[in-house]
Amino acid sequence: MDEKTLDGIIEKYPYPAGRTLGILREIQLQERHIPMDTLKLVSVKLEVPLSELFALVTFYSFFSLKPVGEHLITVCMGTPCHVKGAEKILETLQGHLGLSGDTQDGKYLQTTPDNLFTVEIARCFGACSMAPVLHVDGDLHGYVTPERIPDILEIYGWKR
Amino acid sequence: MSLFGSMNRMVTITINKNQYLAEEGEIFLLTAMRLNIDIPHLCYEKALEPYGACRLCMVDLVTCGKTTMTPACTIKVHNGLEILTDTPQIIKHRNLLFELYLAEAPKSEVIREMAAKYGVKKTRFLKKIVHEDPLLGKCILCGLCVRVCTEIMGTCAINFINRGPYTVINTPFFEQNPDCAGCAACAQVCPTKAIVFEDRDAERVMQSWSGTTVPLATCSSCKKSFAPEKLMHKVLDKLDPAIIEEIKSLCPECRRQHITRKVIRKVPKS
Repeated sequence: MDEKTLDGIIEKYPYPAGRTLGILREIQLQERHIPMDTLKLVSVKLEVPLSELFALVTFYSFFSLKPVGEHLITVCMGTPCHVKGAEKILETLQGHLGLSGDTQDGKYLQTTPDNLFTVEIARCFGACSMAPVLHVDGDLHGYVTPERIPDILEIYGWKR
Repeated sequence: MSLFGSMNRMVTITINKNQYLAEEGEIFLLTAMRLNIDIPHLCYEKALEPYGACRLCMVDLVTCGKTTMTPACTIKVHNGLEILTDTPQIIKHRNLLFELYLAEAPKSEVIREMAAKYGVKKTRFLKKIVHEDPLLGKCILCGLCVRVCTEIMGTCAINFINRGPYTVINTPFFEQNPDCAGCAACAQVCPTKAIVFEDRDAERVMQSWSGTTVPLATCSSCKKSFAPEKLMHKVLDKLDPAIIEEIKSLCPECRRQHITRKVIRKVPKS
């Protein structure tokens, strides 16, 4: 992100309340991740220590340090979805997209090598009646079964 | 009684059914330490505000006959304060906590010794094993190093990273941090001696903080390096400029000799 765009974002937050997180949120939305250089620039401009910003970015699951793919798949891992087999859904997704289940930082956020899909997990969307559910770019898919996953992925440009 | 003499009112407090005199407003943990009443603790540091992070100094606070478990470092002494330090509830809590600490920091001798002192030698929990841990598997995440770096040194070079069981303390992006002054205050306050650094020739390498390297100032007299340059600048800023010029570039040892010689010269020979 160039300095001008960043200045534009910072200008929108003249008051200290919610400033840092608000700015970081806009960077995440625009860039689809938090680039290292931008974070360093924010630290200089806001006069907030870089270590503090890095702690925030690594704490909240909303922020990601690696670029998020074109389509964001969020799998609900809330209790009702878990009971209805969300674990299987996630495993099937990983199998189709060639992702591993490992995590180093406690956030589950993985992107396919072609940068088309990113899979993340979340707790309860509040759509438990349709469990198990998953979100793709904000579209809710309910009553998901492992068999239906390829059909859902195909809508977003996945090829078998 | 504090170091600077008693300024506050002395009040009577009850610890384990015995009555003692204590200064009003004093931190209860310090009162107990002064009275030789044993309370284990890890995260208390007198330079910082009590934080109650380690939960080891838990005692039973008695109010109107009811007990509440409270960390001793967050209790301020007042008249009629009643504390029980070794009820079965406290002992059970403390032993469980020792087991958790043994699993969290399996390499720490401090924890092992302290736990053994209270009769805890084994842990039922899965030991946390991290390969090539910069904090040597000794960190208990009490946050003292982060607080001393931010609140006292004002550098904020390190902070918590990630969350939950993945939380670690390090520099941002796990790379060398130019903000670090190399003061090693973090290593000084660490209760489990987890932070390592090394002085090599004219630089200090903070091995725990992603190998952050800071230059050391060299003594103009004996040519030995003695303190991080950035720290020297910070300290010199606070001194009387008249004093600085003379002793600016001397290490403590040479400084002592220099001043002694100067004073001796002033004394007339009898």
